[in-house]
Amino acid sequence: MESFLKDCAQSILDFDSERAEKLAQEALKRQLPVLDVVEKGFVAGIREVGRLWEEGTLFLPELVMGAEAIKGALAVLQPALQEGKGGHRTTGHIVIGTIEGDIHDIGKTLVATMLSANGFEITDLGADVPVKMFVDEAAEKGADCIAISALLTTTMPGQQRVIEELEKRSMREGIKVIVGGAPCSEEWAREIGADGYAGDAVAAVTLTKKVTGARD
Amino acid sequence: MKHGLMEVITRKVVLFDGGMGTMLISSGLREWEVPESWNISKPDQLVEIHTAYLEAGAEVIQTNTFGANRIKLSSSDAGKELDPVEVNEKGVECARRAIDRFGAEDRFLAGEIGPTGLFYPPVGELTDEEASKAFTAQARTLEKAGVDLFIIETMYDLREALAALKSVRRVSDRPVVIELTFEKKPRGYFTMMGDTPEKEIEAFLSEGASVMGANCTLASGDMIDLVSSFREMTDASLVFQPNAGRPEMEHGVPAYKQHPQEFADDIEKMVRAGANAVGGCCGTNPDFIRAVYDRLTQGG
Repeated sequence: MESFLKDCAQSILDFDSERAEKLAQEALKRQLPVLDVVEKGFVAGIREVGRLWEEGTLFLPELVMGAEAIKGALAVLQPALQEGKGGHRTTGHIVIGTIEGDIHDIGKTLVATMLSANGFEITDLGADVPVKMFVDEAAEKGADCIAISALLTTTMPGQQRVIEELEKRSMREGIKVIVGGAPCSEEWAREIGADGYAGDAVAAVTLTKKVTGARD
Repeated sequence: MKHGLMEVITRKVVLFDGGMGTMLISSGLREWEVPESWNISKPDQLVEIHTAYLEAGAEVIQTNTFGANRIKLSSSDAGKELDPVEVNEKGVECARRAIDRFGAEDRFLAGEIGPTGLFYPPVGELTDEEASKAFTAQARTLEKAGVDLFIIETMYDLREALAALKSVRRVSDRPVVIELTFEKKPRGYFTMMGDTPEKEIEAFLSEGASVMGANCTLASGDMIDLVSSFREMTDASLVFQPNAGRPEMEHGVPAYKQHPQEFADDIEKMVRAGANAVGGCCGTNPDFIRAVYDRLTQGG
């Protein structure tokens, strides 16, 4: 099992979508514990990609290729994850998007991918998402948490407006709000009354589990 | 008689202007507006901004055409309404009005070209062909409108930068200044796509760039080592235009906190490290350029 998990991680580090998908299919065929395959195999791989990106060894093209590879594997494993065959249940519903006026979406998509890999149900609204749409969708889906990405200092205030809209509709109590993106910070999250800030996709998963009270 | 930029740069450090976006925002530009649209709707404001930089000592002023290529303009609804030819023509016109009115010799008008905003594979699907088409059209308009030189800026992908450089060369023999934008990582300076100063130098020298270097992303303090890296690798003319620190949010509005004198200190270090031309990018304004001008002229 351990060498199989190493192969899964390596397929992501090699940006090999084809191999990642083949391994995912093999995991299903061999009826391996799906959550372990995801967490200790593929996610371990993308985590290493993230670390190498932070240290400046890998760059955006590699980040994107790694994300493609893990998306492929997760697409194969998703049904098994959802049906709880992995030995866990869905940990919550997250509405995620990049705030209006902002078209940056790579980081947001990576976070959505990682959250999905960890069993969360995701509604990904894409980029340039109006404030009202975050709240409308969260209401409709009965979401546990809204995750908002902003990559520009000029679009960051939109994150605050989402929280204000939730308060206006008396929805703030029942839903968590987390923020991310290069110009954001812990301080910013505190200032606007968000429930937390995460600096990268891996931290986002930890934060989401924490604020939604999901089991780790 | 006015000497060309490439002659002036052999004699002295050339001073470029500072941020345009920063000045437009403080003149009232709103989030939903296309900055280049002011060339058409508020040309007097543009003339005022260019004049302020000239008065501060800038020798090269850059047209407000950073996002005025067809691809970038069509990425927004407001942008789709604009005619790229008119935007670029009017951009040059505003800069020319400012220079003529200012009346000094040896001031240069640089036609500015910025990225398409799209990505090459694997991040996106932009091709050399598409990029070249957009850049050639813009370069042709700028050339016809009467620029003294071209400046290609804030490029984060060497492939796109090369497409822009070749496009300009296709329609003009004028000097071309070309700048990539670098991040400072633990292992060194890299563009978002992983390009290095070494790769930049190699690529641009062989394609006829007149002056090369870097702008944006880095605050002035973080760019000094970058100048040294470049200088170790080439004798070519180098240009650097850093930001005034990193933007911080102040009551919902982004603010750059660096003081002009600190900026001038860093620019002085860059000149000592081998920069042949300097200027400012995001967060800088005429005060910053004036501080640099004073420092460069009193230094002797």
